[in-house]
Amino acid sequence: MTPLQILAAAQDGSPAPRIPVFCNLLDQGAREVGLPPQRYFSDGAAVAEAQLRMQKRYGHDNLWSLHYVGKEAEILGCREILFAADGTPNVADLVIKSLDDIAKFEIPADITQTEAWQPIGECLSILAGEVGATHPICAYATASTTLPAILMGMDKWMELFLLGPFDLRDELLRKCSDFFRQQIAALRAAGANVLVYSSPFGSPYFVGRRQVETGVLPWMRRDLAPGGSDGVVYYCGTAPFNEVIDLVFAELGITTYYLGPQADLAEAKSLIGDRGLCCGTIDDIRMIHWTPEQTRAEVKRIIEIGKPGGFFLFGTGVMPLAIPEANIREMLAAAFEYGSWQ
Amino acid sequence: MLEAYIQAYNDAVFETDKQTALNVVNQALQNGFSAEDIVFKLVIPAVEQMMAFIERDPDANLAQHFMTAQIAADVTEKMLEKFSKPPEMVGRVVIGAAYGDLHSLGKRIVSGCLKSLMVDVVDLGCNVSAERFVDAAVAEQAQVIAISAMMVHTAIGENGSLKVRALLKERGLEDRIKLAVGGAPYRFDPELYLKVGADAWAADGVNAAKAIVELIREVKP
Repeated sequence: MTPLQILAAAQDGSPAPRIPVFCNLLDQGAREVGLPPQRYFSDGAAVAEAQLRMQKRYGHDNLWSLHYVGKEAEILGCREILFAADGTPNVADLVIKSLDDIAKFEIPADITQTEAWQPIGECLSILAGEVGATHPICAYATASTTLPAILMGMDKWMELFLLGPFDLRDELLRKCSDFFRQQIAALRAAGANVLVYSSPFGSPYFVGRRQVETGVLPWMRRDLAPGGSDGVVYYCGTAPFNEVIDLVFAELGITTYYLGPQADLAEAKSLIGDRGLCCGTIDDIRMIHWTPEQTRAEVKRIIEIGKPGGFFLFGTGVMPLAIPEANIREMLAAAFEYGSWQ
Repeated sequence: MLEAYIQAYNDAVFETDKQTALNVVNQALQNGFSAEDIVFKLVIPAVEQMMAFIERDPDANLAQHFMTAQIAADVTEKMLEKFSKPPEMVGRVVIGAAYGDLHSLGKRIVSGCLKSLMVDVVDLGCNVSAERFVDAAVAEQAQVIAISAMMVHTAIGENGSLKVRALLKERGLEDRIKLAVGGAPYRFDPELYLKVGADAWAADGVNAAKAIVELIREVKP
């Protein structure tokens, strides 16, 4: 079976040789192809090449078209990204510097025509051509209720979200939702088949359950309305969200849940049951200082909780660059071993 | 006597309802309590209760942390203008986001809580170099340097907390200036603060203020 077929089997509960194994290697790509981060991330072909090479070397199931989260801000007018040789690029120029900027803030009529989109489009085109028929190709799109955090800073967004002015907040949310709708359609059209819907404000760790229901859910519904939830993965940026799984099933129809490493995996499995796919993730920050033996033991623990009954995927967070390669290899070897159905 | 106000105030904060919290404070003022009473007998006990609550219930959400800090800082700032004499401050901290880090929410929560606990806060902003942290702490006679890092490489990288520790050691300041860290990576690995040379950490911004006050008390005569 191909990795894409193994993923489909895990989603519908049909037989497969093993569980799907996802490993999110994003920042490692620049090193892989020997380019400084800024040049690497401006070149969609280089990102695709690195993803293909790393997938071949390590054997995990998925590849990524995501360059870095700040790309969305760049499509929307951010003019400066702070690159780092040892980690994730960071938004250095806020698109919305004051509340007055919200009225002036505009979503491009066609985001695929923007300069910032071109490397993503190029990367996806290569990945879809090379492995689109056989492998999960992941793309990342930030929910309308979270996107403002990278446009105006998390503290300013939290303040606007909670304290208003609410007309301005809703105007910004409407624009961000319009952007999301365009982006997810463009990602699908370019060949992405796993769409990670990043919605930290959809986690009760960010705002209370009542606020998720009344202030976030309506916008998530709007985000997803045109294209539906096919291929969409619910993800709250590693924040726990078991408390809203039933709500998301009922209101959004999303059937795949990518948990954070601190989530109660057994509880999530029981909440999801055979209605959808549950992804248990390893704490890849602790992997920086673990030995390969500790890494293996943790993979075993996670899979022993998640695998019984199927409908389970093993995954990682965003795999910091500081993780020793021996731990990456051991994690994947253990995931294939303990995740085998044979 | 202020118990009912504390309860009503914290209920409002818990619901992230700033206006109701401010109404509680105004009601207490109208009923004859002084600005000093509001800060020392209402706001500080309320923040301390919230710290205890958040420590017991790690599921308390980020919005509650944020509102705890914002409301407490706003009320304290307004009340300080009405104090009959300037209050004695607990100590001073220089705070900022680590070198290469542009995330500001965490330090804003910590700063808000610290201000309400009568700690002077010198906010150095984001993307702060190790040298600037140490130079500012010396110039401001701060007892604590507090570094927020929301990304793994800014938490463990050689230009962050590790370098601040090295500079404190090199300049013989370790007995006078303590180092606190916080941010998402530390929540995933509770031993990480030791690996980056910090003296303390906390899992959330509200309790970070408590940890910083304890550090101040360690070094301040």
